[in-house]
Amino acid sequence: MGQDNGSTFTTQKRSSGGGSALPTTNGRAAGAAARTMIPRGRQIHKTFNNIKITILCGFVTILVLRGTIGIGNLSSSEADAVNQNLIEETNRVLAEIRSDKDPDDPADSTDEPQFLSLNDTYTLGPKIVGWDQQRKVWLSQNPEFPSSVNGKPRILLLTGSPPNPCDNPIGDHYLLKAVKNKIDYCRIHGIEIVYNMAHLDKELAGYWAKLPMIRRLMLSHPEVEWIWWMDSDAMFTDMVFEVPLSKYSNHNLVIHGYPDLLFEQKSWIALNTGSFLFRNCQWSLDLLDTWAPMGPKGPIREEAGKVLTANLKGRPAFEADDQSALIYLLLSQKEKWMDKVYVENQYYLHGYWLGLVERYEEMIEKYHPGLGDERWPFVTHFVGCKPCGSYGDYPVEQCLKSMERAFNFADNQVLKFYGFGHRGLLSPKIKRIANETATPLEYMDQVDIRRPVHGDESSGSSETKS
Amino acid sequence: MLERCLGQQRVRRIQRAVRHAKVTFLCLFMTVVVMRGMLGAGKFGTPAQDLDDLTTHFYASRKHAEPHRVLVEAQPENENENQSNDPKNYATFDFNKILKDEGGEDEKPDPNKPYTLGPKISDWDEQRGEWLKRNPNFPNFIRENKPRVLLVTGSSPKPCENPVGDHYLLKSIKNKIDYCRLHGIEIFYNMALLDAEMAGFWAKLPLIRKLLLSHPEVEFLWWMDSDAMFTDMAFELPWERYKDVNLVMHGWNEMVYDQKNWIGLNTGSFLLRNNQWALDLLDAWAPMGPKGKIRDEAGKILTRELKGRPVFEADDQSAMVYLLATQRDTWGNKVYLESGYYLHGYWGILVDKYEEMIENYHPGFGDHRWPLVTHFVGCKPCGKFGDYPVEKCLKQMDRAFNFGDNQVLQIYGFTHKSLASRRVKRVRNETGNPLEAKDDLGLMHPAFKAVKVSTSS
Repeated sequence: MGQDNGSTFTTQKRSSGGGSALPTTNGRAAGAAARTMIPRGRQIHKTFNNIKITILCGFVTILVLRGTIGIGNLSSSEADAVNQNLIEETNRVLAEIRSDKDPDDPADSTDEPQFLSLNDTYTLGPKIVGWDQQRKVWLSQNPEFPSSVNGKPRILLLTGSPPNPCDNPIGDHYLLKAVKNKIDYCRIHGIEIVYNMAHLDKELAGYWAKLPMIRRLMLSHPEVEWIWWMDSDAMFTDMVFEVPLSKYSNHNLVIHGYPDLLFEQKSWIALNTGSFLFRNCQWSLDLLDTWAPMGPKGPIREEAGKVLTANLKGRPAFEADDQSALIYLLLSQKEKWMDKVYVENQYYLHGYWLGLVERYEEMIEKYHPGLGDERWPFVTHFVGCKPCGSYGDYPVEQCLKSMERAFNFADNQVLKFYGFGHRGLLSPKIKRIANETATPLEYMDQVDIRRPVHGDESSGSSETKS
Repeated sequence: MLERCLGQQRVRRIQRAVRHAKVTFLCLFMTVVVMRGMLGAGKFGTPAQDLDDLTTHFYASRKHAEPHRVLVEAQPENENENQSNDPKNYATFDFNKILKDEGGEDEKPDPNKPYTLGPKISDWDEQRGEWLKRNPNFPNFIRENKPRVLLVTGSSPKPCENPVGDHYLLKSIKNKIDYCRLHGIEIFYNMALLDAEMAGFWAKLPLIRKLLLSHPEVEFLWWMDSDAMFTDMAFELPWERYKDVNLVMHGWNEMVYDQKNWIGLNTGSFLLRNNQWALDLLDAWAPMGPKGKIRDEAGKILTRELKGRPVFEADDQSAMVYLLATQRDTWGNKVYLESGYYLHGYWGILVDKYEEMIENYHPGFGDHRWPLVTHFVGCKPCGKFGDYPVEKCLKQMDRAFNFGDNQVLQIYGFTHKSLASRRVKRVRNETGNPLEAKDDLGLMHPAFKAVKVSTSS
């Protein structure tokens, strides 16, 4: 107490309030003795003033700082909220597109869907008779739509996928690559493509959807001699090989399979309906009519599935699928159908991918396109991968890598014509394999895929697409 | 001590001055602190919550700049925890593990040499003529007045950034497959980047040149963007109109030659005849393309010279406008700017009118009554950023697709339930005599698909 303390008290307050040491405070400390001249009341008054100012300033500082950050909070949350709304809306749109809902579904779509009961008989359409004759008459009346072009019977390749986006985006990407692969093969060989994305018959959805479409195309296009169904997960891997149709002049259905597996073991994978050819004739229409009844979804398909599992070897229990149904049909009505069915295994009209894709490098080294068999498979079929769904039967990485390899393996055969090739079977980038010249047609003559196959025949190519 | 030096009055004045100075400094300091607080208080060790708030504030304000364009895959991280170990689950798979950029470097172009698409060819017409003579089985005209056409389109070999982008590419190629099947046109779907210099919209130039030189049997090459769809399946191009021209694009003469408007023509859908003139045109078109400094500089020139062009790197369309406008004498007489029908139809003015068109008109017009092509310029469904809101683009693409698909389905007696619906319904009953059924548009066996009737089958 006393003036000395008072003065020290004052100086301490000063320095804390000021924040930086002002030279005068030290001076003040030194000249503390001189302080005794100023009355104490005024000193205290001054002190309090200083304290007030200090506290006020400090308070305002904190307020303003807090206020700034606080306001920052408000404004950022506003922008955030707006942005969040937009992102949510975008995601809602994407989810809507990817869902199965359709704007035209009836309002009471939550009801149980109507299934055919076990007593109903299902038909693909009105019974057609005398189709062969009808077709012949039509062809003679319409010579500008012949069933053979340049000596080759007209083929129509049918493939398809569901109308909504895949459960995962990679599925759509591989559907796109698979369709490019088919476009390439069919352009080289003069085959027309129909890519189906519509469920023509809601009863026969899923793998059965091909049946109504095959029938519909046969009846609408009498100029087409063969309809070739190919799954969306199958890819052409031999761009040169052609289906030897002359071998099948006495047959109406060409399908890949093994006769011993079919007749002796009654295996459910004895044949593969992922890639097969149907001749456009009455026999085929009859077969389709006989094949379809196991298809309608609901109790019919379930019951049929049980029958198939009971009768076919190795078949797991699930609803009836078209492949098992066809095998069962051909086995149980062998005498009626089998003489016109060609079970082909000389080349890979369907090639099960496991066991093939690892060997591509070996094939490139040892063999060449045009063989179509295990040395250079015609078709590589990714059974079980199901890239369009959420889960496959095999690890995803293995499936996707293999599909990419198969695609690039085939694409190399196309790009070679243009003097390019992929840098590796997993690489999307390409490298030049032939230099550009001022006379490009000379190089082309050497590598043209189309000409060695067609050029020998007297009437030559199938380039005319009509 | 000071008092002794200066006198008491003066000391008191000095003291007052000092007090004022202190207050001033205090206020100044407070101002500085507050301003630092507004701009960068995070560095000052403010409470952690404030720090977090601030960082979120800044991040959000950056995102706020492009609200309409962000397309984000809805991948709720927490949902996938229990699935992340399943190797058979597609949802949790990272696609980047698949593609491997193997061996070899990009071809390094010689910086001293100007860019060329390839070795100069001067006698292409002769080379091609000889080849056609040697190969009578690959005629360049399928019938009289029906040239052999190759439709060229393409997309990236990598999956789209937008999760539904590949689905729309698939629908788009199906649409093209349908039109080309009905009209006897072949398709080339490109997924390879032939020349790394000419990436982006310029990638079509090396591709077109390569295809022209590799397919001498092709008379016309029809380039079509992947975001363009056919909406008139019955319209056959008027080939006789083009028998004396080499390049057909949608556009207007006044807008290109007089106004030099950068959208006076559209290079999203055009026809190019396979001859020497076309090779020369490609060589004249290409120089603005090589990426990097050349493309940027060219972009500036184009923005300056063309009407209405925004500032961005050179694109092939602007370069074509510039080329035609400045070298009309060289090229103009062989270029046909078609505006009689929608060889390219800007989607913005067409898609809302589909129902009206269905009511009042029928396929086969190709023009404003029933457009041949609806081109979704600016939508960019494959990428993450487009110029239009996502919902509008994708929904309208669905409508355009269904509008075109209806014309194909009606051949077989079906149609979509509505332009927005994926489901189809039957409109013509099946009969026991299918060959008597005729589709309304005559597309089942159209005249433009008929084969030339010859004596040998």
